Amino acid sequence: MMALDVKNLNKKYEQFQLKDVSFQLKKGYIMGFIGANGAGKTTTIKSILNLTHFDSGDISTLGKNFIEHELEMKQVIGYAFGGVNYYTRSKIKNVTNVVKKFYKHWDEDTYNNYLKRFDLDENKKIAQLSEGMKVKYNLALALSHGSKLLILDEPTSGLDPVARDNLLDLFQELVEDGEISILFSTHITSDLEKCADYITYIHNGEIINSAEKEEFINTYRLLNGSESQLEKVKDDLISYKENSFGFTGLIHEEDFDPTLEINSARPNLEEIMIYFSKREGLYV
Amino acid sequence: MYNLLLKELKLGVSPFFYILPFLTGALMLIPGWLYFIVLLYFCWITVPNMCGAYKSQNDLQFSLMMPVTKKDIVKAKVAVIVILELLHIVTAVIFGFINTQLYPDFTNFFFGPTVGFWGLGFIMLAIFNLIFISMYFKTAYKFGAPTIVAITAAMLFAGGAEWLGIKNSTIFDLFKGSGADNLAIHVPILLTGIVIFAVFTIIAYHIAIKRFMKVDI
Repeated sequence: MMALDVKNLNKKYEQFQLKDVSFQLKKGYIMGFIGANGAGKTTTIKSILNLTHFDSGDISTLGKNFIEHELEMKQVIGYAFGGVNYYTRSKIKNVTNVVKKFYKHWDEDTYNNYLKRFDLDENKKIAQLSEGMKVKYNLALALSHGSKLLILDEPTSGLDPVARDNLLDLFQELVEDGEISILFSTHITSDLEKCADYITYIHNGEIINSAEKEEFINTYRLLNGSESQLEKVKDDLISYKENSFGFTGLIHEEDFDPTLEINSARPNLEEIMIYFSKREGLYV
Repeated sequence: MYNLLLKELKLGVSPFFYILPFLTGALMLIPGWLYFIVLLYFCWITVPNMCGAYKSQNDLQFSLMMPVTKKDIVKAKVAVIVILELLHIVTAVIFGFINTQLYPDFTNFFFGPTVGFWGLGFIMLAIFNLIFISMYFKTAYKFGAPTIVAITAAMLFAGGAEWLGIKNSTIFDLFKGSGADNLAIHVPILLTGIVIFAVFTIIAYHIAIKRFMKVDI
């Protein structure tokens, strides 16, 4: 079953638009949603959750149309926009006491376990928590009401490397049983190299590619060659950078001709993102 | 919706605003004062401060994270406004009653705390609600313009009513003269005020829902 199915999502703002955004997340997997700042990650996530109106498109979560089953779906979807940035002067205890009343499947034991595991003190005010702790508190809330789908907008931004690593380990642990699925947006591509099963890459409001991680990376080749070689492949490159030795550039695997004998390597996610954003610059 | 209301009352509204009605209500003890002001304190102090707190505490995002609909959010917020308004009116009525016991023979230049006066108070808050609630939910965070327009309209009503009470002999008689103790007329005025309050608030609630549905969070 699909945990999340986004079909042809369109939303037009004055200076930005989501164009036919479509992607699917299978149940029990982690999908990384990457894109530069302002690429449309948050707008897409907000549209999925009906926080923002979209002009056209279909969103299904856990097999059901989200808008038609909004209340039922919100009971089993946990989401967080970064850390907790609401009621920051209130104690964790007080916020939890309000939040838990909304959920039919709230499990107090699970909640207490997560508090212990995350080292969260219920008597602290939200403002007293570090960024990492805020993300963990949000996760504790989401996981204690039995979420089957976690939608997290940049949960790792602002965390130190250790906290990020811990969080990514937790994500992997959560999906182990195949019951929980996670979609998380980030611009820190190394997070995805560590834990994502699928990658969806959004650029300027358009989905460039959405695929299993290895397949996603294998779609591209990073070329490294001389100036004369550049002339031969220039038109096929997604974009390139010239340097004193020649050039480096990104190309679609299918456009790459091995007989040209240009050095090629497997790019990493960061390189893919950089060359795609550079492409934009070329045409401006 | 009940959970959202609890959320508003526990997290959203500072306890200060539950105490404020008693402080402003006590102003009813000033003999011969302009008693509309006692109710207007709700519009001047509570409303902008409450909305400012919602905005700074990121309340909308928090509320929408819960399994609730946008309609429920409007319902809960309107309910909080009505609850606080009723708290203001009820405490003012109690202090108004004490006022009449303390100064039984006082001649009021402005409206005294008669039963019918509270009907006018309800109408004033009805006008405030109609304008404020419907305007506020256009954005659900900008409260400056809705507050100013709604307060101006409420004050114009209060000012107009006071002016009529001084200039118009029938109304003068009804509220300050021989009719002041005539419950047969004052109770219907109060009931009319309550009905107008309910109708205007319900209309505002429906307009607010329509507008809030279009708001992108």
